[in-house]
Amino acid sequence: MGVLDKLNLDGKAAIVTGAGRGLGRAMAVALADAGADIVATARTRGQIDETADLVRDKGRRCLAVVCDVTDSESVKGMVDASLAEFRQIDILVNNAGGATDGFGNALEAITDEQWRVGIATNLTGAMYCSRAVIPHMIERGSGKIINVTSGFGLRAARNNFIYTSAKAGLINFTRSLTMTYAPAIQANLIAPGLFPHGVPAMQEWWKGGKFVPMGRLGGDEELGPLCVFLASDLTSYMNGQIIVLDGGGLAGGQLPTGFAPVIPLERE
Amino acid sequence: MMVVEQFSLAGKAALVIGASNPLGRAAAVALAEAGADVGVATTTRSPREEVTANSCANEIWALNRKGFALAIDAADESDVDLSIERTVAEFGRLDILVNAPDLHFATPLTDISLAEWRRVIDANLTSVFLACRAAAREMLNQESGRIVNISSVLAERGMANGSAYCAAQAGVLNMTRALALEWAKSGVTVNGVGAGWIDATGFLADENMRRQLERYLPYKRLAEPEEISGAVVYLASDAAAYLTGQVIWIEGGALSHV
Repeated sequence: MGVLDKLNLDGKAAIVTGAGRGLGRAMAVALADAGADIVATARTRGQIDETADLVRDKGRRCLAVVCDVTDSESVKGMVDASLAEFRQIDILVNNAGGATDGFGNALEAITDEQWRVGIATNLTGAMYCSRAVIPHMIERGSGKIINVTSGFGLRAARNNFIYTSAKAGLINFTRSLTMTYAPAIQANLIAPGLFPHGVPAMQEWWKGGKFVPMGRLGGDEELGPLCVFLASDLTSYMNGQIIVLDGGGLAGGQLPTGFAPVIPLERE
Repeated sequence: MMVVEQFSLAGKAALVIGASNPLGRAAAVALAEAGADVGVATTTRSPREEVTANSCANEIWALNRKGFALAIDAADESDVDLSIERTVAEFGRLDILVNAPDLHFATPLTDISLAEWRRVIDANLTSVFLACRAAAREMLNQESGRIVNISSVLAERGMANGSAYCAAQAGVLNMTRALALEWAKSGVTVNGVGAGWIDATGFLADENMRRQLERYLPYKRLAEPEEISGAVVYLASDAAAYLTGQVIWIEGGALSHV
């Protein structure tokens, strides 16, 4: 079997959380393009129905399930529905997450509730989903978990306490999955750089990416192949690792994220 | 375009330096399987390495891709320049460079002579500098290219008696990050692949060490070289256009261990 054949996901089923828009939608569609059937989940019905249409356009089945990953009963219901529909789950993409209320607050201005919701959204949700799916994966002897972290899980920023803590926690949660369930289950992470998801305000906020070393922001469609790579048999010996897709941002990054200083050349 | 097609290397020209290293050989074959024409070069002019490189080139031809084998000293400036020139002469261009030097060396620091230190650094690190420099002349000019430097878990973790090797392997990865930034706007990406423990490497000639590893690795086994080359194909392809200055580790979870 050639190396490219190992990317084929025919006959596999994948759950993608936060699949209603942005990177989650891009990953769901890419997995479907590579052959997988998809469970698209998010809190908003309309958005996952649109994702489901895109998946079906690729000729794959899609189950759109409304699910709040911060509610373990909701997660359990979603996983039960997925197994009822597809009888198997080969791939779990824990993508749901993002900035929550209080993002950027100074430490003394963070309320207990803001902290709880931020950690629940960006860390606990991935734990709930993994906990619900792993017994099934263990029973079948195989499974792929892909957790979406962030450059803020690896490096810090001023007044970014909730999000950095949750995303860093997700990284070490993933490593513990590795130490516990290898080799049957592979658990790896994607750390996307700056992806504006086609939202003009975000394009503008990030200045079109001119401070990213490559000089541009990421396109959602660029994340799809990485997700397929991690979901495929090409990465069967890869476990507990992070792939950073950020146009070179974290390769330097001693100055504000993605800013690439050039050491001044000595002049004669 | 379908997502899997973005991984195709059809029509691309590659050079792999280190074809006698099992990781370099597997990478060369995987690139050819993905559609690239692939030249392979040795790291030293030993007859044993030349035989391995020739057999690797035969494997590439058997996949219906163009290939050639070249015996070079990868730490020699003019030899490395020649290998790049030969690739361009054979294939008309150079899209992909994979560096896979791997000279194993284990000696207590106090017993390492300066000549030995230089030999290990030259073989494992300076060779990568020379190849990147020579490839950049082509790649920067054509405003596209992929450089993949294969390093080791010993770039990230120390090991007693491994000081020279560990220093060289770590040097490769941080040179990779610096080059990625230097060329970030040029269309040339530079990334690393951090390989886990594989069979048939010098360090594992010690049966006891091999048993210890197999006991403690999360997979309870070493990696097959073919399990690592998928990352080389991904990094060499259009699918990874936004990825630069990073290391993809394929090490079976070894680095997750406390």
